[in-house]
Amino acid sequence: MNARLPAPGDPFRVVRRGLALSAVAFVGLAVVYLIALAYTPVEARQGLAQKIFYIHVPAAWSALLAFSLVGIASLMYLWLHDTRLDRFAAASAEVGVAFSAVMLTSGPIWAKPIWGTWWTWDARLTLTLFLFFLFIGYLSLRAAVHDPAERARFSAVVGILGMLLVPFIHLSVYLFRTLHPQPIVLKPSAPSLPPEMLRTLLVSTVVFTLLYLGLVTTRYGIALADEAQEDARHAT
Amino acid sequence: MPSSVRLSLAIAAKDIRAELRSRTALLSALVFAALVLVVFNFARDPTVIAVSDLAPSVLWVTFALGAMVAMNRAFSVERENSALDGLLLAPVPREALFIGKLLANLAFVGAVELVTLPLFILFFNVSIWPQLPGVLGVTALATVGFVAVGTIFSAMAVRTRFAELMLPVLLLPFMVPPLIGAVQVTSRLLADRPLSEMWGWLRLLAFYDVVFVTLCTLAFTAVVDE
Amino acid sequence: MPPEPPSNGEYMAAAYIVAALILLGYWVRLWVKARRLAKVGKPIGG
Repeated sequence: MNARLPAPGDPFRVVRRGLALSAVAFVGLAVVYLIALAYTPVEARQGLAQKIFYIHVPAAWSALLAFSLVGIASLMYLWLHDTRLDRFAAASAEVGVAFSAVMLTSGPIWAKPIWGTWWTWDARLTLTLFLFFLFIGYLSLRAAVHDPAERARFSAVVGILGMLLVPFIHLSVYLFRTLHPQPIVLKPSAPSLPPEMLRTLLVSTVVFTLLYLGLVTTRYGIALADEAQEDARHAT
Repeated sequence: MPSSVRLSLAIAAKDIRAELRSRTALLSALVFAALVLVVFNFARDPTVIAVSDLAPSVLWVTFALGAMVAMNRAFSVERENSALDGLLLAPVPREALFIGKLLANLAFVGAVELVTLPLFILFFNVSIWPQLPGVLGVTALATVGFVAVGTIFSAMAVRTRFAELMLPVLLLPFMVPPLIGAVQVTSRLLADRPLSEMWGWLRLLAFYDVVFVTLCTLAFTAVVDE
Repeated sequence: MPPEPPSNGEYMAAAYIVAALILLGYWVRLWVKARRLAKVGKPIGG
């Protein structure tokens, strides 16, 4: 239990650092947009829509990163009972929802011109949908439990179970699709990427990772600040 | 027999006896399942869609929804009686407690499935008798998986404000792999396909069961202990 | 003469704009939350 006095200076420093890091990442994102439009060549068969690739794939990476870290933090929380791990897991889950939302919008917007249909039950989109539902379930549970210790324990269980569900979803979709091959009009990504495309993808992935770190830090700081105020309110 | 096994069986027996006396969870789940089957029948155009195409999906959606109703009610009733709290005060190994709850829930959900299946055969005119052992087998295999996760989630959900909403929101993603496997195997069974075509799915179901029963058993202590 | 790539730039624009809106929107939401907390906290801490 925390017997220390609340220190309002600390949480806001974390928040400011997080906001600043995210702001830098957003500048990076603008740069990525420019590079994707001006520098990277247009894919001959798919046209401009193929460039959605440079935000969809890094967003997927960030969402999966967020999700895995929720799982790992949950596991460590049940082992170590450190509230910082629980706070981090909650922050990572919320940021994960944002990146999943980007995936769930960019995916269909990409699929429509390339595959001719808004939705397809391919491995990536299906998994995205599941990640989204798992994040939402996790956050709903947190909102519904009042006692902080109970909330931390329950969320940790859901976080771990969710992390272990992902390989099974992947396996089920894979087994299903090998039996029912879906007609694919155009392959969404070329077998070997030309260097300019690869470079753009890598830069974008770095930017998205920075964005994840900045947003998680901010969210974590806000949770800290919120708790400090709760403590102060109970002390007076 | 090791004491933990005896303990789990005793807990399961107590819960089953309690439910047989009040029958609230069982009856509401049965009525619900029957209603779902009726709605499914009226939801399709019989001249366009053949029963055999939809049958496995209808059966498994009904099983899944009926199972959730049964598990939710079972834990709510127990919560109302504060039965679990008494058990927790005793130095009972939490794993044994979970297995007991799991066995009781399997009995409830199994009972719902055993009544739903003949209704399904009746309403949808499906010839299932030659494949009955297989259907029962895959039903047991898939049910173990989602009842394990359902048991631990209903233990959590029942402590929240919106328990009836919380259980489906948490559980449904976890039901998908067992459901996909079950529907695939069931549809192949009904179409008289050879076992070789189902093997991959059966392995998936078994693997899912092993992983999640183990995990939920270990995680249960985090749900009930401070 | 290789065929022209399909003209589907509006999809790219839509995806890029929506992604930016979602991420920026979330950042703004966090910023607003932080400001609100900071205002409330001042009389207690300083």
